[in-house]
Amino acid sequence: MIPIPALDFQIIVASFPFLASIFLFSMGCLIILTQQNLIKKVIGINVMETSIFLFFLAIGNIIPGGPPIVRPGMEEVIYVNPLPQALILTGIVVSFSVTAFALAITVSLYRFYGTVYVDELMKMR
Amino acid sequence: MVLFPLICAFLMPIMAYFKKEVCSYITLAITGIVFFIASYLAFVVIPGRSFVFHIGHWEAPWGIELVVDPLSALMISTITAFCFLIALFSIKTVRMEVPLDKTGWYYTAYLLLLTGMLGLMLTNDIFNMYVMVEITGICAVALVLARGTKEATEASLKYLLLAVIGSGFILFAIGFLYSVTGNLNLDYIAAELGLVKEYYPYLVWTAMGFFLVGFGIKAALFPLHLWLPDAHSSAPYASSALLSGLVVKVYIISLVRIFYQVFGPDMLTGTPMGTLILILSSMAIVGGSIFAYTQLDLKRRLAYSTVAQVGYIFLGLGLGTSWGLVAALLHVVIHAFMKVGLFMVAGTVYFQTGKKNVLYFSGLGRIMPVSMGAFTIASLSMIGIPLFGGFISKYALAQGSMEVEGYGFVALVVLSGLLNASYYLPIVWQAFFTEEKRETFHLDMVPLSMMAPLLAVTLGLVYLGVTPGRMMTMVENAASVLMFGP
Repeated sequence: MIPIPALDFQIIVASFPFLASIFLFSMGCLIILTQQNLIKKVIGINVMETSIFLFFLAIGNIIPGGPPIVRPGMEEVIYVNPLPQALILTGIVVSFSVTAFALAITVSLYRFYGTVYVDELMKMR
Repeated sequence: MVLFPLICAFLMPIMAYFKKEVCSYITLAITGIVFFIASYLAFVVIPGRSFVFHIGHWEAPWGIELVVDPLSALMISTITAFCFLIALFSIKTVRMEVPLDKTGWYYTAYLLLLTGMLGLMLTNDIFNMYVMVEITGICAVALVLARGTKEATEASLKYLLLAVIGSGFILFAIGFLYSVTGNLNLDYIAAELGLVKEYYPYLVWTAMGFFLVGFGIKAALFPLHLWLPDAHSSAPYASSALLSGLVVKVYIISLVRIFYQVFGPDMLTGTPMGTLILILSSMAIVGGSIFAYTQLDLKRRLAYSTVAQVGYIFLGLGLGTSWGLVAALLHVVIHAFMKVGLFMVAGTVYFQTGKKNVLYFSGLGRIMPVSMGAFTIASLSMIGIPLFGGFISKYALAQGSMEVEGYGFVALVVLSGLLNASYYLPIVWQAFFTEEKRETFHLDMVPLSMMAPLLAVTLGLVYLGVTPGRMMTMVENAASVLMFGP
């Protein structure tokens, strides 16, 4: 019989990347929404996006696989799925540009208000 | 061919860097060319055929496809038409609001936004859709930021942070779909998902939910709309019109495409997702209108009105019937006309009199009759009075609600017409009927480049209200292709 997944230690260990990804994603969203310091919000963006990349990598993982490089001699080796890695490269570029943009806006806000903390900013409106 | 606007938009930053005053006219020319290409494609597709273009000549599923099916054709013609008109409108307003050395960059962001929206509508590949979502999102934030004032900077940061959360959810959902199906092309995902759906019910529900939240943040569905009033009220007038009328809609259309093409129309009614969308959209309609009633700044009032109208579109989407989908698509197009017209009126009023507060609008009908006339027509259309465009979409929505026996929704649609009236008609009344000692009646002193798009949009609205035939066939084609397959 199939054991109940929630109680099976093996499955929890095997799916650890997925659990970590979900945990980091929710932490990242919470950081963006609740932290008072604008720089920390930008860091939260990075945490959240990184967790999604971790999720993509975990999907593409094949357990006995090696890096997806095919040498002329050895054709039949099992390799990890390279497609999510290409998607992640695009995602990293997007995340990096969004971070740069957010930091530029933060610098501009600092020039206006002199502070990086959101609650002080609200008082100064 | 299809890639011409994309390439042109990338050449724009180079041209804009050298000559600052000419870039608005160059933008106008480029959007005009793109509009002609898009309408040609739309005419090709009207009989119901689709037109597929493979990037780099790699066939699907290895390559990315660009598909012009009826929905795409409808949306790209709408998008390019409005980008052209707003480019015409923005020649004067951008000079007024954006600092002079930044106008080149403003039009760069404008053309990149056009690129992103067109790519989003045309693509058939889910990861390309994500890339286009990001392009559109970042350029929209750049357009909000163009003024450089304190409010604009805060609003754009808020928009950026929330938009990034939305993109994160979308990317996560793409990851879910990829993990189950292994394809990235929308048609192939649909085929695989049909086979695999029974084994992973929770995962498919989670993916649908994440897509709804992600696109809902970007499209300002009710509890996720918090960035919209600040962003749309502190943006320059041209980009407010663009954002409110088009950008919010392309996200809804891509959500429609994902829900109907990938998941299948039975997913909406079979899962709690349809009920959830209905609840959220009803809250959006009522809440958006009530918030709009209390706003005094005209642009914030129009922004909350956008929240309510997005609620209408989601109501049509959540009904799950063919008429509901037709209503949603119709409202996307017609609301684009109405909102762009309203924001253009706001722009002309600001240009001539410098007024932004609704309380000061009294007697404006005497000195700006054309603008306030356009405002009246757009407001009557928003309320849903027959003979103007809004009636068509509200009628389709009521028809869709009656198909599902949801008479509460019919009452909601009618009630929301009254709520819409409560915050538009006072402006109209004040403009025309208050007794003020004004000068004699004369026409607006607003340059022709701002009047012409306003008149075009208003005339288009009246034309669609009186003879909606051709547009109805396009929309019905689009809806039937979505619901029942090509």
